[in-house]
Amino acid sequence: MSTDFSQPQRQSVVGILVMFFYTLQQYARALWPIIVIWIFKFDEVNKTYLLLGTILTLVVIGVVSYLRYLNFTFFLDTENEEFIITEGVFNKTKTAIQLNKIQQVNINQSFVQRLIGVYELDVDTAGTNKKEGAIKAISHELALELKSRLLENEVKKSISETDESQFEKSIEKQTEEEYPFIKISFLSLLKIGITSNYGRSISLLLVFFITVSDYIKKITGRDVFHDENIENYVDKNFVIQTFLILILLLLATVLVINLVRIVFKYYDFNITRQKGSLLLSFGLLNTKSTIIKPEKVQIMTVTSNYFQKKMNILELKIRQATSGEKEERKSAIEIPGCSESESDAILKLLFREIPKKGVMLKPNFRKLGFSLFLSIGLPLSGFTAFGYWIMPVLFGYSYLLPIYIILVGLVQFFKFKNNRLFIDDHFIIRQSGAWDISNEIVEPTKIQAITISQLFWHKNLNIGSITLHTAGGEISFQLGNFTTIKYYVNLWLYEIETSNSNWM
Amino acid sequence: MENFTNETIDTSQLPKFEEVQFTALHPNYWKVTLINCFVFILFLCFGVLLGLIFIDELFGFQSQLIITTIVLIGLILLFSRIAFRKKRFAFRNHDVLFRHGIIATNIIVIPYNRIQHVALHEGLVSRYFGLAKIEIFTAGGSSSDIEIPGIEKEQAENIKQLLMGKIQKQL
Repeated sequence: MSTDFSQPQRQSVVGILVMFFYTLQQYARALWPIIVIWIFKFDEVNKTYLLLGTILTLVVIGVVSYLRYLNFTFFLDTENEEFIITEGVFNKTKTAIQLNKIQQVNINQSFVQRLIGVYELDVDTAGTNKKEGAIKAISHELALELKSRLLENEVKKSISETDESQFEKSIEKQTEEEYPFIKISFLSLLKIGITSNYGRSISLLLVFFITVSDYIKKITGRDVFHDENIENYVDKNFVIQTFLILILLLLATVLVINLVRIVFKYYDFNITRQKGSLLLSFGLLNTKSTIIKPEKVQIMTVTSNYFQKKMNILELKIRQATSGEKEERKSAIEIPGCSESESDAILKLLFREIPKKGVMLKPNFRKLGFSLFLSIGLPLSGFTAFGYWIMPVLFGYSYLLPIYIILVGLVQFFKFKNNRLFIDDHFIIRQSGAWDISNEIVEPTKIQAITISQLFWHKNLNIGSITLHTAGGEISFQLGNFTTIKYYVNLWLYEIETSNSNWM
Repeated sequence: MENFTNETIDTSQLPKFEEVQFTALHPNYWKVTLINCFVFILFLCFGVLLGLIFIDELFGFQSQLIITTIVLIGLILLFSRIAFRKKRFAFRNHDVLFRHGIIATNIIVIPYNRIQHVALHEGLVSRYFGLAKIEIFTAGGSSSDIEIPGIEKEQAENIKQLLMGKIQKQL
């Protein structure tokens, strides 16, 4: 190691610029109402004062960011095995992170940082919800070096645990230093873009649409949708045509939005292998990079839908061990658009073998009945009651009901049809979903606790539910054969309790 | 070498969690639940009374309101009783089981080698009856944590020691 991290050191000198931009951003965020007023009253305000004020603010921000730069130091305390960051101008903060508690070290690059040519280094531990330590401006080489130093400790620890693993590690080090493993092509991203997340994009668009129409209504004082004038002088055929065109336009917009979003987020997605773990880096404007360690993986989800299957692409989602509930969503790492063979390679690396689907468990038909009751029966009776007693106008829309019933019924039916639990000696796989079919893969050794649940009127039917809790979330399966479930619960408990397997 | 055996395990002969003898909570815990219910009921009655006195629109519905309140109180007491009766726990050699639930019977099993830490909690009312609550935490988030209430203080202390010992041994 050429750089000595044991002495406190500052960030890159250009870090002042990054600090400047970030402080500017903070101030702008805090003061935006005033700025907006200034822009609107540009002509009325005294220009010289405005100029002076702006310059003064910029100077103040400059000084503040310089002071921030001066007061920000970080170093590695080799004696206590800690990484220490001191920061703050007036309120000093000293963050000490024990090296063996470090879960993840991420190297990111935001747009500003890319312009200046520096990187950001985040240190993440299991303890709290937010990132513990962040160095905002650091050169790439230094970042990589610091990262390997921070994570070095972990390797040392696991080596000292057993001789066997040391042997393995040294072999691994020789054979796979660091080479590109999978590179997700632009084409795959395009494929993913047009085949995924319809629901999210449509709802986003709907929100946008409603806001805009609301806005127009406020400004013009006219309702866009119920403008009777339109119907008066345009014949019906034309209305239907425009309506169809509008829907097509809507679908096209959804596709484009999806595409742009996916490309921006995941452009240049690279997966490399590094000391037995996976290193991901991606992003068009903000480059992000994360490390996935096989032993920290708790739940792995493989998702694809009908179109994606035809095009041979899959989406992977990896959940690592977390402590906070809020963090759970954030820490799911997505790998969009790999082919089947690539996904198998990743699975092999993380699980040592390709998960097999073993014994299949089906839910009882009562599950379909219950979900139909929840999704159709309840809303329908609510609608009827509401219309009957409170708003009879509502019944004017009852022609929409059959559409709703058919649509939701179909979704529920496919959800029921795809809901399966596969149990193999080494893997538990839960299959679910109506259109996007996902397979959640869990290893029995990662189970933290098991909940078994049965309604009292299901006792004679011999059906019941099971929830497997892991450190990265839980998976549950409802209304399966209770005898089988109980048998496997006993088996898993036996496996967990007799071996001292490492779940993290 | 002679001592080493490696026989095939008959997985159907594994210890069954469903055949475990569960221990009921301490009878005094029912009193604790009753007192807690009583406080809640007091607030409820107070609210209803205030409503009857100060809201004129409710004047015509006096009897209905009172009947609803009584039914509500009855339901609260009934469900508390069922919940109390169904809450049971068991400590096996390698794991802890907790059974709970009013409509559904839920059994949660935590192996000792997955326990992160154990805490002892004494509520105000519980302390008066010499009872304590054992809280067992895992890395699986709040949904996989167990809280076993209504255990005698001394016994709870012992259980905590036992669990701590088991965790230490695993490490």
